[in-house]
Amino acid sequence: MSENVVSGESIIIRTVVGMLYPFMLLLGFYVIINGHYTPGGGFQGGSVLATLFVARYVVFPVDDTDSERLHTIQRVFLMLILVIPTALLFTGVVTRYPALRGPYLTLMDLLIGVQVGFGLGVAVLRFAFFQGVGKTWHL
Amino acid sequence: MRRFLAALLVVGTFAIVTVVSVRNRVELAPFTYDYIVQNFHDDTDSKNAVAAILLSYRMYDTMFEALILLAAIIGMTQFLPRPSDMNGDARSDAAQEPEDAADE
Repeated sequence: MSENVVSGESIIIRTVVGMLYPFMLLLGFYVIINGHYTPGGGFQGGSVLATLFVARYVVFPVDDTDSERLHTIQRVFLMLILVIPTALLFTGVVTRYPALRGPYLTLMDLLIGVQVGFGLGVAVLRFAFFQGVGKTWHL
Repeated sequence: MRRFLAALLVVGTFAIVTVVSVRNRVELAPFTYDYIVQNFHDDTDSKNAVAAILLSYRMYDTMFEALILLAAIIGMTQFLPRPSDMNGDARSDAAQEPEDAADE
């Protein structure tokens, strides 16, 4: 969203999305972190985080995001999602130490949120730039 | 005729399953429901029963939901063409796709 880049969208959309960007980030992390107090949680907050990629695509439709790297980050977080409950929940550590229960829920919500956010972001970018090229692709 | 028979098979299966499931209604004992509603705060320290179920009682469900998302994205990244595939010779780029998949 730097000024020297020519964007196809009007200055109104660019300015409004630029102003909304931090609030979308804030709402996403609010929904994720308050997942075990209020309605919401990892999947919902991750979807809100994925709208950041959509907003960036609307304003600045250039394929300069390394979606392979986003996918790698998503896979690392998925591995943590699989490993941490196996290590803490299924072995009974969380059940035995009540002080760990709150941090465990917050940690899992955070991991799931980031994983879903990056995953949906990769999906959105792949579809967006698949359509945006405008040439037919044949196998 | 084949389409009519296929449609008849689908609709007939739906009707039979609906009738059978309505006639033989199974009422489960509300043991799990009562247990979770009464004990979720003590068990998981969560103030939200949905979060308690998703992150503690039914953690396997959440883990495999996340895996489904990964499977969807792997399918997308492998089968949707990249912009570089569309500009040049698509055939040769497409032939190199399986090697990329094997590296991961």
